[in-house]
Amino acid sequence: MTRDIALGQFIPGKGVIHKMDARVKILLLIAFIVLIFCTFNFISLGLITASVVAVILLSDIPFKMYLKSLKVIILIIVITSLLNIFYGSGEPLVQFWIFKITLSGIYRAVFVTVRIVCLILISSCLTFTTSPTDLTDAIERLMKPLKIFHIKVHEIAMMMTIALRFVPTLLEETDKIMAAQKARGADMESGGMIKKIKAMTPVLIPLFVSAFRRAYDLAVAMECRCYQGGDGRTRMKILKMKKLDWFCVAFTALVLIGVILCNIFFPAAI
Amino acid sequence: MSFISVENVKFSYDEDKKNVLNDINLKIEQGEFVALLGHNGCGKSTAAKLLNAMILPDEGVVIVDKMNTSDEKLTYEIRRNVGLVLQNPDNQLVASVIEEDVAFGPENLGVPPEEIRERVDRALKTVDMYEYRKHAPHKLSGGQKQRVAIAGILAMQPTCVVFDEPTAMLDPNGREEVMNTILTLKQNGITVVLITHYMNEAVMADRVIVMDKGVVLTEGNPREVFSQVNLLKKHSLDVPQATELAYKLLGIGLKFDEMPLNTDECVDYLEGVLK
Repeated sequence: MTRDIALGQFIPGKGVIHKMDARVKILLLIAFIVLIFCTFNFISLGLITASVVAVILLSDIPFKMYLKSLKVIILIIVITSLLNIFYGSGEPLVQFWIFKITLSGIYRAVFVTVRIVCLILISSCLTFTTSPTDLTDAIERLMKPLKIFHIKVHEIAMMMTIALRFVPTLLEETDKIMAAQKARGADMESGGMIKKIKAMTPVLIPLFVSAFRRAYDLAVAMECRCYQGGDGRTRMKILKMKKLDWFCVAFTALVLIGVILCNIFFPAAI
Repeated sequence: MSFISVENVKFSYDEDKKNVLNDINLKIEQGEFVALLGHNGCGKSTAAKLLNAMILPDEGVVIVDKMNTSDEKLTYEIRRNVGLVLQNPDNQLVASVIEEDVAFGPENLGVPPEEIRERVDRALKTVDMYEYRKHAPHKLSGGQKQRVAIAGILAMQPTCVVFDEPTAMLDPNGREEVMNTILTLKQNGITVVLITHYMNEAVMADRVIVMDKGVVLTEGNPREVFSQVNLLKKHSLDVPQATELAYKLLGIGLKFDEMPLNTDECVDYLEGVLK
């Protein structure tokens, strides 16, 4: 059962987005998220939607995967858009009891829906196309300036790396322990929710003990390999901005300018 | 002066408890392949950790390549020189990609990026795992993981590698892979200290040191050591299967010029007798 859990959502591929520098991807994602919330009329909203669609078309990920990620938040979308419909101001189109639906309410609902959908699509695109290792590596490098605030960037990144490394190992171990406990007559399938959770105790305790033992071993192994924290450490991989990355930065900059111009020259819809 | 020398070392993990190592003396020459034997709790693993300054002696000195392990300024230089490979291959790998794991050591040492790349490739080729460099550790077999762990040590360019029961958790195939890798290291001029429970592995060494209760019981080349079957038996230690057979045959009146150490030698001898 535990074997089916995929690590992160990374889907290996050879698309343009896969090849991008993970640092650039993270920064551009942030830029896109800000832009998505800076759209005030239908033209700029259309522009940002078109660019998000362009990005996910380029990403070499089956569209089915994106639909899956949208499925999770469909309830949130429905609720927020319904709330927004009734929150509009101005001349009501339809009115019953204390509820009234106005044109501006409908506009609001459309905006909120499109924004959330775009947000999910573009962030899924990052997690689909970037391996967890690349992601932690990029986060470490991007957070480096935070060192001046005495944030232990290297240590945080090291913890993330080790956690990622041991997730599959510990999952495998959980499987083994569950099999061992079942062989001794442990019942983990029957009963209600609470009984099932209680039945996990004989699995979790050995798992914790073993995790601590592993941690001790790993600490010894790391010290044997001269680990002494982040100071004086070099990295094998040098991340360099390639032409592709600059192109993507330029693309995002164009979208940014487009959105700003649309916001200035066309009347705001909400 | 020997490459590694352990002189009159005493050590205990807990001050009140009795010593794990009791006045032990070891000498290991450059380029030598030494096997360290002894049953559980005799202090072998403690001795291994002594050699790379993971633990420091309570009394006595440990000198590695003219460096005293008690000198804190030299700790990392000693650890770079003397690599330690542990028993459980899973718990030694740090990164989720093989080549990044091998790079961990040199990265800690502050080696420039281009050189790390070179060292990683060379180390992976030495242990014959180069084509797996982009794989994730949990997809490999035990023997392969252990070879990656060895590559991780090799990338630090050590002069000596200490193996603490590297094959204890492996299947026969994995054991053979790792032993072949260890023999390759020896051919490359690296000093090898192998702690093991398997007598047929100890037989491949240049010299065998047998430990018991924190002291050296006996040492010498494998033939010398394993000829003392009585002594080893008395301390509940094994001898290679072929030697065991020969020892039992001694009891029924067969005579051996020297005790056989492996199956081939034993078969040759028995053939001579039976003809």
